Amino acid sequence: MNYTRDKKTLLTVYFACYYAVFAFFFLDSRLLSQYQPIFFNFNHDLTELLLLATGIPKWMIAHPASFLYADVLVLLTPTLLLGFYIKKGRFSRLLGVFFSFLLGFYLLLANIFWQVHPEPFILYVLLSAVFWTKSEKGFYTLLSGCRYYFLYIFVSAALWKVLRGGLFNGGEMSRILLQHHSDLLTGACDSLSCRVYIFLIGHPALSWWLYFGGVLLEASFLIGFFTRRRDKMLLGFAVLFVVADLLVMRIPYWTILMGGVTLWIGPGSRRSPAGSGIIIYETTHHENLPALLDLCEAHFNRVVVYLKNLSYENLSGKGSPAQRWPRTEFVVQETDCPNRVFIQRMFSFGKKEGFSHLHLSTLDNNLLFFAYKLWINTELHVSLTVHEVNEYFALFFASLRDVTESVAKRILHRRIRSHTMFLPAIAGRLQQRLPGAVAVFIPSRFYQSQDPGDSTPTPHRPFRVVIPGSVDPNRRDYEEAVKFFTGWLTRTIAPSRPIELVILGDSNTPFGARIIAQLQNLESPFFRLIHYQGYVPELVYERQIETADLLWSPLKVNKKSSRNSPETYGQTTASGLTADLLLNNTPALAPSGFELPEAFRPALLSYSSPTELNAIFTRLLEDKAYYRELRGQIHRAFSFFIKENFNDAFELLTGLDQKTKKG
Amino acid sequence: MKWLLIGFIILQVGLDLAHSVTAFPFVHYGMFSESFDQPDSLLVYEVTVDSILLKPNDFRVYRWDMVQVPLAGFEQEQLGQDADSDQPKPGDSPALVEARLIYRSILPQQLENDDSLAIHFPQWYKQYLSRLLGHPVRTLRVDKAWYRYSNGRLQLLQKKNWINS
Repeated sequence: MNYTRDKKTLLTVYFACYYAVFAFFFLDSRLLSQYQPIFFNFNHDLTELLLLATGIPKWMIAHPASFLYADVLVLLTPTLLLGFYIKKGRFSRLLGVFFSFLLGFYLLLANIFWQVHPEPFILYVLLSAVFWTKSEKGFYTLLSGCRYYFLYIFVSAALWKVLRGGLFNGGEMSRILLQHHSDLLTGACDSLSCRVYIFLIGHPALSWWLYFGGVLLEASFLIGFFTRRRDKMLLGFAVLFVVADLLVMRIPYWTILMGGVTLWIGPGSRRSPAGSGIIIYETTHHENLPALLDLCEAHFNRVVVYLKNLSYENLSGKGSPAQRWPRTEFVVQETDCPNRVFIQRMFSFGKKEGFSHLHLSTLDNNLLFFAYKLWINTELHVSLTVHEVNEYFALFFASLRDVTESVAKRILHRRIRSHTMFLPAIAGRLQQRLPGAVAVFIPSRFYQSQDPGDSTPTPHRPFRVVIPGSVDPNRRDYEEAVKFFTGWLTRTIAPSRPIELVILGDSNTPFGARIIAQLQNLESPFFRLIHYQGYVPELVYERQIETADLLWSPLKVNKKSSRNSPETYGQTTASGLTADLLLNNTPALAPSGFELPEAFRPALLSYSSPTELNAIFTRLLEDKAYYRELRGQIHRAFSFFIKENFNDAFELLTGLDQKTKKG
Repeated sequence: MKWLLIGFIILQVGLDLAHSVTAFPFVHYGMFSESFDQPDSLLVYEVTVDSILLKPNDFRVYRWDMVQVPLAGFEQEQLGQDADSDQPKPGDSPALVEARLIYRSILPQQLENDDSLAIHFPQWYKQYLSRLLGHPVRTLRVDKAWYRYSNGRLQLLQKKNWINS
């Protein structure tokens, strides 16, 4: 659904038809100022009687200039409405309401004075209520209501013909044609159409079939009450009906086709073919979304992301997510909206809009709720980002929550058969645990940095070491970093180059404060510390990583998951380092035991002892040729991480490979 | 908004069930649904302008409509004035008749066309035809002609001059 696009489409179709109607009124001398009536008709309409009772029609007859005012008003008001929309980008409720009433009033007058027969114009009045609303929801609700009315026009016409007996009268169409074309038939009747009418009148059985076909065509609109999937077909039927009406009945009913816009736009109306709409749910690890979004935009016609405001604001370091992924719709969770409500809304939206794919980048702590929703939404193709393989398969029964989560996991293992992970080794592990399931490696983001050979190094600037991630003793060994820098800075030999250390994560914990205090004690002209408290904005985060000379991830290779399952970095869980690395071509220090696949390897500098760490540091700082060559090697290796190299994995993940094969 | 729409649809269906009465914007789409009998005769207004008979084939559909509609309206108005206008006409629903009676009792003047309409109509129609045809109309003659369908064609039963101006 694209609100702006749909609004523009509606405005274009609506007012193109609106002015076409009035252009033909003018050409046929039907404008009130052209007709200049001196009497009014009584029709079987209570509203018209009410209007007559006000005395307005009689007053207008006595004051013919008022007909011109009515014409001018009905022709100019839309320009005001449109002018306001173009200037402000939204509708004016006051003008919208005025326009609706004016149009209704004009149609009533036209029917009172020259029998306009308002039936095909009712939708013009009803759809004009769309101009009353400033909200997207209101817009689509009205559009949807008008769609039902458009369907109702045809279906009720069919019902009338059945219930009033027209359909069961064998001579019906013949007699209708006779009465309707009587003035045409009294003449020479030498035109083709006149001869056809005479033929049909003379063959009642044959013409009855035309009537029956018309009823069938009208009745077919009933399907629109149950599904939107046939809207395009129904639009075609509406055109067919109008053409047939013109040829057989000589009734130019084209004005009703404006209502066809409700079949063209609106929720789910331009539903993409199966497999071309995906929803992504991500509320915890937004830093892993970029590659997925790039791939989704390349493979799906519609991409909708459900995420938290914090995630939205930090999804893209450079520019807003809406600018970076212009074809993606972002649905942001309000602060007072509980996760479960947000998830419920996502499933409702997906069902209503007919999305075929759902990717869960996280399961939050709502495993059972997700399991239930997925179990009942059997048609969705679901894929999942697995962050911790052991945790995903661990079953616990110590508490009620453990039990429900364990039950949920069993359901999820059966229901979700497509998985993505941030390292190939983790995908391999998952496939061992879930034989037959799809498990692919797709990185967090694609590599887009310039060749380091193109940049000019700044001389004499400090060597910048960045330790990314929150200061968490469970995941990283910060003591090791403190110990190293203490040793490095208290050596008898003065450091060849000053060091700037960036602790790029929240250090606002007792543990973090202690580490920061220890490092601050080391500050001197040769050592400067930068640290953060609280959430580090993505823009700052990415800038720090991009300008780093060295990343250091003092990982505890074996760690415990949030539910105490043992995990191994690089094997069963991925470190944020793999995402950080792809922001530039910076080498990264990590303890031995942490393994990365081939394409990452040139960037990974492993150490198993303080001596090795010392040696690596010394070489990086002192051997400029080595350092330059190393960055070049990393750049060449990282060139593998482009979107084109992961299309196959993505198609496998989403099942689009099967669609391609079938196609 | 949703409930307004639901309310509208309920009213629409209700008005549809009430058959012959409507209350704009609640209208029927029941055109050509009643079971038609073979008509005994067919009334056609034949309009002759400056001695030339106007033919439907020479006009766009709605332009021809505008030649015919005023005549039909005028005749309806005359019929209404001839008969007791408070009496129901064929096809009127009880609700419509009652509403008309109430209106007439409260605002009798507003629901009546001008008494002089019969006098002014021919001249007005001539002027309107001039605007419609794009040239001044000097003489106008309108005949009411009744035809019967027989042997694959319409046969004239009777013709009566109605308007001469």
